[in-house]
Amino acid sequence: MKLMHCPLNGWRNFGEFVYGGEVTLPPAHDADPKEWADWVFMEDNTAGVVREWWFHSPSSYWFIAERDNVRDVVLRTYPPEEIFQERVDFSSEGASQ
Amino acid sequence: MALGLLKQGLRRSYKPQPVLPPRPELKSSYDVVIIGAGGHGLATAYYLAKEHGITDIAVLDKGYLAGGNTARNTAIVRSNYLTPEGVRFYDESMKLWEGLSNEFDFNIQFSHRGHLTLAHADSTLRTMRWRAEVNKHMGVDSELIGPEDIRRLCPHLNLSEEARWPVLGALYHPPGSTARHDAVAWGYAHGASKRGVEIHQHTEVTGFRTEGDRVTEVETTRGNIRCGRVLQAVAGASSQVGAMAGLRLPIHTVPLQACVSIPMMPFLDPIIVSGTLHTYIWQTGRGELVMGGSSDPVPGYMTRSTLDFKEGLMAHVMELFPFLGEVRLNRQWGGMTDMTPDFSPVMGETPLSNYYIDAGWGTWGFKATPVCGYRMAETVAKGTAPDILKPFRYERFDTFDQVGERGAASVGH
Amino acid sequence: MNERLPAPWGSLLDREQPLTFTFEGERVGGYVGDTVSSALLGRGTWLQGRSFKYHRPRGPFTLVGDDASCLVQLPEEPNCPAEHIAAEEGLTVKGQHYSGSLKRDRARFMEKFSRFFFVGFYYRAFYRPRGIWDYWEKFIRRAAGLGSVNTNTAHRYRDKQYAFCDVAVVGSGAAGLSAALAAADSGADTVLIEREPVLGGGLNYHRFDAEGSSGPALRAEMAERAERHEHIRVYRETQCTGRFGENLLALVHGNRMTKLRAGRVVVATGVISQPAVFHYNDLPGIAAGSGVQRLMRQYGVKPGRRAVCVTANGDGYGVALDLADAGVEVAAVVDLRERSGSDARADAVRERGIAVHPDSGIVHAIERDQHVAGLRITRRRQAERSGAPGTDIECDLVTVDVGATPAISLIAHAGGDVSYSNETHGLTVRELPPGMHVAGSVAGPCSLRAAQAEGEAAGRAAAAGGPAALPVPAERDGPCNDPWPIFAHPKGKEFIDFDEDLTIADLRNAVREGFDSIELVKRFSTVGMGPSQGRTAAVNAVRITADQLGETVEGARASTNRPPAIPERFGHLAGRGFDPVRYTPMHQRHVEAGATMMVAGAWMRPAYYGRDRGTAVREEVRAVRENVGLIDVTTLGGLEIRGSDAVEFMNRMYTFAYRKQPVNRSRYLLMTDDTGSIVDDGVSARWADDHFYVTATTGGVDSVYRRMLWWNAQWRLDVDIANVTGAWAGINIAGPNARAVIEKLDTDIDFSAEAFPYIEARSGHLADIPVRVLRVGFVGELGYEIHCPIGCAEALWDRLMEAGREHGIQPFGVEAQRVLRLEKGHIIIGQDTDNLTHPEEAAMGWAVQRKKPFFVGFPALKARESQPLTRRLVGFRLPADTDPLPEECHLVIDGDRITGRVTSIEYSPTLNYPIGLAFVDPGHTEPGTPFSIKGSGGTMIEAEICSAPFFDPDNERQNL
Repeated sequence: MKLMHCPLNGWRNFGEFVYGGEVTLPPAHDADPKEWADWVFMEDNTAGVVREWWFHSPSSYWFIAERDNVRDVVLRTYPPEEIFQERVDFSSEGASQ
Repeated sequence: MALGLLKQGLRRSYKPQPVLPPRPELKSSYDVVIIGAGGHGLATAYYLAKEHGITDIAVLDKGYLAGGNTARNTAIVRSNYLTPEGVRFYDESMKLWEGLSNEFDFNIQFSHRGHLTLAHADSTLRTMRWRAEVNKHMGVDSELIGPEDIRRLCPHLNLSEEARWPVLGALYHPPGSTARHDAVAWGYAHGASKRGVEIHQHTEVTGFRTEGDRVTEVETTRGNIRCGRVLQAVAGASSQVGAMAGLRLPIHTVPLQACVSIPMMPFLDPIIVSGTLHTYIWQTGRGELVMGGSSDPVPGYMTRSTLDFKEGLMAHVMELFPFLGEVRLNRQWGGMTDMTPDFSPVMGETPLSNYYIDAGWGTWGFKATPVCGYRMAETVAKGTAPDILKPFRYERFDTFDQVGERGAASVGH
Repeated sequence: MNERLPAPWGSLLDREQPLTFTFEGERVGGYVGDTVSSALLGRGTWLQGRSFKYHRPRGPFTLVGDDASCLVQLPEEPNCPAEHIAAEEGLTVKGQHYSGSLKRDRARFMEKFSRFFFVGFYYRAFYRPRGIWDYWEKFIRRAAGLGSVNTNTAHRYRDKQYAFCDVAVVGSGAAGLSAALAAADSGADTVLIEREPVLGGGLNYHRFDAEGSSGPALRAEMAERAERHEHIRVYRETQCTGRFGENLLALVHGNRMTKLRAGRVVVATGVISQPAVFHYNDLPGIAAGSGVQRLMRQYGVKPGRRAVCVTANGDGYGVALDLADAGVEVAAVVDLRERSGSDARADAVRERGIAVHPDSGIVHAIERDQHVAGLRITRRRQAERSGAPGTDIECDLVTVDVGATPAISLIAHAGGDVSYSNETHGLTVRELPPGMHVAGSVAGPCSLRAAQAEGEAAGRAAAAGGPAALPVPAERDGPCNDPWPIFAHPKGKEFIDFDEDLTIADLRNAVREGFDSIELVKRFSTVGMGPSQGRTAAVNAVRITADQLGETVEGARASTNRPPAIPERFGHLAGRGFDPVRYTPMHQRHVEAGATMMVAGAWMRPAYYGRDRGTAVREEVRAVRENVGLIDVTTLGGLEIRGSDAVEFMNRMYTFAYRKQPVNRSRYLLMTDDTGSIVDDGVSARWADDHFYVTATTGGVDSVYRRMLWWNAQWRLDVDIANVTGAWAGINIAGPNARAVIEKLDTDIDFSAEAFPYIEARSGHLADIPVRVLRVGFVGELGYEIHCPIGCAEALWDRLMEAGREHGIQPFGVEAQRVLRLEKGHIIIGQDTDNLTHPEEAAMGWAVQRKKPFFVGFPALKARESQPLTRRLVGFRLPADTDPLPEECHLVIDGDRITGRVTSIEYSPTLNYPIGLAFVDPGHTEPGTPFSIKGSGGTMIEAEICSAPFFDPDNERQNL
């Protein structure tokens, strides 16, 4: 078991974390379903340094890690706010539902 | 009788019957370039030569022959899948498996062990009945059995009702088998090279040259090769090779580990799988227990070993066989599996007109080796994928049209 | 006993405490401190094992268990290295892998057929005619294996410990002790790991000089300091079996595995003695010089009467001196080198008049009574010639010091680079992994002085967190490896790999078969794949493979070294096992009520109350339909969604619309994933404009919660999401008398039909317990789902049971609930849906609000719904006398085509006929349409589609 630095809790055993996939920006909410299909299924699956979602399970905290998935080394972890800075709003159409 | 032994044994001096050919020179052009000299690539080359008369083939590999997942898998063969398309496909594989030793004139030790997938919850029993019913309907021998039948097949399994995960039943698949994994690749390599196919180890593909929608040249660490058609069959590097050809794949690569004990006198005949406990275990002809579980919880391109893997696995192995505490583990290793969203492969044509793909084999690629080779050869030779491969086509994801294998089990061995 | 040397030989023995155990049924004497192997050797029993293929007699070679020639059988443990098993009073030890007895192994005849067991022979036979392998394999399996598993062995207690340190030093020889002391002196928190019972490694037994004094002196000084050092924790009799990510070391000792996280690791694991390769080099009585020294110094064993010391360096002379000191006649020192070089030990040997044969080669060993009886030697360059005359030297002990290979396992696990060097004539560490230092002979042949200096340097660097450097070879002068201690023989049987009985010809032939790299040679020949993992085979295999390929051996790599460094017990890895079970607060009440419990994910739930399933379920269903029942629904997930964006968030996560959901009203929830497939359902209760309480399925809540947080980490809505599953318990009281029962309790909630109608939700108190009450209708009766703090749940359960006694209230289990909900046509996620079911397929389109701009899965649903539907979930019924009933997941068949499957089926005690849900062809879903189910044994059963709910179609009962 390795160690990973949780931006909220500091160093913790790897077993406390859950992997959450590559960080990719979802398409616009009303984008073509094909675009959504690409986002849902297709992956870069890069060999090297990747930007990933990680979840610290005991504290229920999502954050982002940069990890070298060939050398198996976590390079940096940080809160998602670094990337997701703005509130995402959808069009107000149908907002009364 | 064991004539092969007598003939060789009675010779005055050992006469090699080379299995693998000497290393050939790399030519500047081939009709077909196959990237990946693992089981799938070699099998495709073999059937291209044997069934379609195409022999001007180079099989390239960045490492040694069959040194990737062909060398690292745990050698289980079965066809008890959940979906009709899956069952049809793996059943064809099973039929090819049965004849391979004789076809190769090389004993791949295809061993009928019987395959038991245990159910520890009624929800699992339900899914297993589904598998069994689909299998039986399609002529594949599968049956849901209860604890008493399990005891008969595997007398030492912990069938106590007091267990943390009591065994409620099992999906019994009598044709479930094992084969000597390396030997399969060697057999295909031997058969292919005998027919003129060239195998180039330590020849890494570094890029492609394309014109329009065609790949014209394959760039390698040993020079460029002009090519008629190209097939990629590189489990563990599918996304990288695909990216060179401009393909983005529905794959994430995840390490999968396994381990083996010191040999013991055989006490375990069937292959035992428990999805709930993320465990599978069988005993080789040498007496070793081969064991594995679910993929690592983190994707990546690592074949390193971890301690958590074997700690968790051994705890579960001892749930099933509590008496194994004093048995010793001898070796653990890892491979890389290309996981797809629907636990099914990506096979056939691609947006490039002369580039074919055989990828997304997750943890179940070994058992498909013969049918993959057979059908991918057909695809490459004819330029279009046969119907049996259609469910696994690359474009299926565009319309969210996934194959339904994901419901079957979390341990797919 | 007469073979034991007097003290000070035998430093580990407590001669005050003799003991007896049995080996192969014979009584063996020994002392506390003995291993099984040393006690056997103490009485001259060298034959301790049988080889895998030919059943050749085998004895210990390295004498520290690095080879696997002496695996023995304990009553409950197969494949124990006899060198590592402490001799204990009354222990029953047997040899293994023989037919008859270890001494007279009937399977020994196998060797006579060795010409038929050429390398890879099993690939060349047993497959013709097709199918014959199944027959042959039975015989091959019968001959397989080594020890046998005792299937009655108990699951022994073993545990795990976490430990941490700045510097871990593995190995406590001169280099390791120096490193540990240097690190600890610098103030580093240091752990020193030694696999033997005493510190000192080779200092305990190796003869570094002619007098044999430097080792013990140094040991006394350093070991004592290390033991007393305030910054050093010593782990003795501890195997470091592996190095994992970020310097996590697995330490096995006693009944514990310690997982040690080290800042830095200093590897000072020394070397593994290597055999010389010659005809019959595997005979009992042929052993590594260092092992023999250890045997004498630590175990007081006189290893033979007359010895030949084969050597290629000064160490063999030290062995000769030790043997002579112990009273063993040294017949000759056979030196493979042309000149012995300047070594005081060699001079001392000559002074003692021991014959030295320089520039020698070995023709073969001579066997008598399954033991070495002599060695035929000749001039080195003639040794490989057929029928070389040579000189026969009679002996009963041959010591071998022709080279060693560094014990690099931990370095290899960490990703260090190791390859063959023509400078050291052996495998050599070329590049260190990060965070790891080396010192002493593991880094290459090395003098005692160099080992100390390197240890100190490594210890200091490790403590300071400085860069790790490989020691510079020029500064070291140690015992060198012979480049080619290999003597082929016309009759073969020069064993490279003792585990697998592989000879020089086997490896050469593997290359000739086309296996043109060490990895392929390994895979074809199985060299290095046995219990010793090539620890005494790899170097010679690399040499021979390179030679046969005609390639330089410089830079050649052995096959990958993987954990464990030494075999480890399953039990140590498993530990106690930790697979927690969750019980609800009412668990004890269920047990008292005679419930049959079932596993539900991590939880245990009552399946039904009583032992007879049929009767119990029928009674429970009747109670709910006609009277009142009570079910524990604590396992349901509970989530609080709060904040000004709560409703917006609900709208995005679930398929339904929630903006208009009134306060104190509940509403159905359906959740799809990114692919538009149904993943969860539940009920929401709105407590305020900005506050929803939602339930999730037992198995789904964790991932639902995680997914919610994930989405909002991107959306950044003003909403707080909390998983309160563990904080709230749930009880559902249902049946026509539910209100009558509940109203008997003190409450501030008006339960009257007018004040609290169906689908409403209330919070308040019930029997002084704070509660949230939802009027929902999963079972289709007047019912209240009561949620309360988990600590009050048992009391509330008791109060409800008490209040319901006069009505004959009946607790009901999961099975009855399944029947009840099926009568109402409600689906269970995961049973009536699978991973790919979308709402239209499940006839749940009504729960999807398509006017919303977005919800998770909406884009996918649009794509999927534009494709033709391939299946649809419908209700069906069967004739009342159908027997046997089809089962869940029996297939729906149209002609020969699978069109669907039964997802739920029960005999309805209310309706008195079987009902169910099934996926069918979406083109034929009209009520009244017949379809076929392929039941047990393939019998076709006709079913009829009918509309759900099956019972009370207008839902009048739940509205009461």
